[in-house]
Amino acid sequence: MDAASHPRNEPSRTRSVSSWREHHGWSAADSLRRLAARPFGSLLTIAVMGLALALPLAFCLLLGNVQQMGRALGQDQAINVFLQPDQGESQVQLLAKQVGDRSDVAAVTVKTPQQGLDELAKLQGFSGALDALEQNPLPYVLMVQPKPGLDAPTVERLVGDLRDLRSVAQVQDSGSWRQRLDALLGVGDRVVLALALMLAVAALLVVGNTVRVDIASRSEEIGVLLLVGASGAFVRRPYLYAGIWYGLFSGILAALLALAIEFALSGPVAQLSQAYDGKLHISGLPLWLLLATPVAAAVLGWLGARLVSAWQLRKAA
Amino acid sequence: MIQFDQVSKHYAGGHEALSQLSFTVPTGEMAFVTGHSGAGKSTLLKLLGVIERPSHGTISVGGQNLAKVRGRGIPKLRQRIGMVFQNHRLLMDRTVFANVELPLTIAGIARQERGRRVRAALEKVGLLSYERQLPATLSTGEQQRVGIARAIVGRPSLLIADEPTGNLDPQLALEIMGLFAEFQQVGTTVLIASHDLPLIKRMRKRVVVLDHGRLVADLAAEEVL
Repeated sequence: MDAASHPRNEPSRTRSVSSWREHHGWSAADSLRRLAARPFGSLLTIAVMGLALALPLAFCLLLGNVQQMGRALGQDQAINVFLQPDQGESQVQLLAKQVGDRSDVAAVTVKTPQQGLDELAKLQGFSGALDALEQNPLPYVLMVQPKPGLDAPTVERLVGDLRDLRSVAQVQDSGSWRQRLDALLGVGDRVVLALALMLAVAALLVVGNTVRVDIASRSEEIGVLLLVGASGAFVRRPYLYAGIWYGLFSGILAALLALAIEFALSGPVAQLSQAYDGKLHISGLPLWLLLATPVAAAVLGWLGARLVSAWQLRKAA
Repeated sequence: MIQFDQVSKHYAGGHEALSQLSFTVPTGEMAFVTGHSGAGKSTLLKLLGVIERPSHGTISVGGQNLAKVRGRGIPKLRQRIGMVFQNHRLLMDRTVFANVELPLTIAGIARQERGRRVRAALEKVGLLSYERQLPATLSTGEQQRVGIARAIVGRPSLLIADEPTGNLDPQLALEIMGLFAEFQQVGTTVLIASHDLPLIKRMRKRVVVLDHGRLVADLAAEEVL
């Protein structure tokens, strides 16, 4: 009988699958044992990866809350429409109804010239000056409250329409800051995305380097495995599981760190909320993101280990 | 059957390890490859295990041209060849049992069958009672026997050994050679590289003599004095 033509070691397909499963189980357990056998090095790798993955989560948390704050504060920012001085009350009420009927307007409040004057009188230093006036110079003002949740371009369109009205003298759009905030948040979104990608690559490199060192330190064992007929997949398997463990544990650490940051922020945000009549609330990271982080990190760990082990084993073979 | 046909092997720098080597080892035969240090013995075995490739010529094992064995075919081929090394190449952090079990795990043999075959192999080399020990606790001769058990556990049809008795005393070396002769008797083709001429003479098997990579003599068993 010849070696190449008559194999004596051929397993049945069923046995082969069962043995393959068994080797997966062994590889998962063995790689975990090896991680536990050098706790300091493993914890260091997991900590570096965990911190790298926690950073985008923290930024995500920050950005989400700034967006929410912007929306909460923006609800109170009415558009002040100053009418021409010659407008009579009936004309003003008609105009207020016309504006109030718009689909993008939540409410319109009419401020009479007398109400305006009374408000000014309450302000320190104005009462004496107002006494000197012969007649009330203030116009009617429509305080237009846009529907909540409108984006900046829609509010801008509303402001433009109001400005075009014939009886309008001036429109004061106090919501323009919101447009700038939206633009800034748009930049923030991109920054977080870029940061997340860069830090994911960093995490990938950390796993890759750890696995590379691990493979280099076990080159003798790998050599033996290859000589007794192990395939690349067989040799690689424990290292892939090591990558998965590193990723999984660092993902869990990142999620825990994000929760800790959320907890640390809750106190100062509560104080800030009081200053804004309780309108601000911290919103935590969504549960799906916290659960997805360890899974995504495990995939990242596997990928890092896969790339490096394929390259290292090609060299060893 | 092993067939070398005009095989040469050149290394970088122009060193010629083997030169136009041609010989055949029929199935079930035991043969020694001998020669001084640097004669090309180890290179010849490395070519058989597809650890290295020839620069020229053709090597076939069981009618299969090794030049055509590539990629996933290499581990498949190595699973069918038992290899024994001078320095044993055991995994020192695994037990004797785990070391011998390795080729069977790789081949996908079921656990129960693996246990049975590992114990049979260990019994064959006289180390059944050592199965739970780590290789470091064994003597050099015992470690070599573990290496042999690992090589034969997969029931290979070709067994190649590179200086398997290099570190052993003459008595132990003879015992090890006796083991190889037993495997030949059950139909395994055995090819051993050794420079231990007294031992080779005592075994009275075919001897292929190399000198500077060239075949200088091919002696049949009865021609060995």
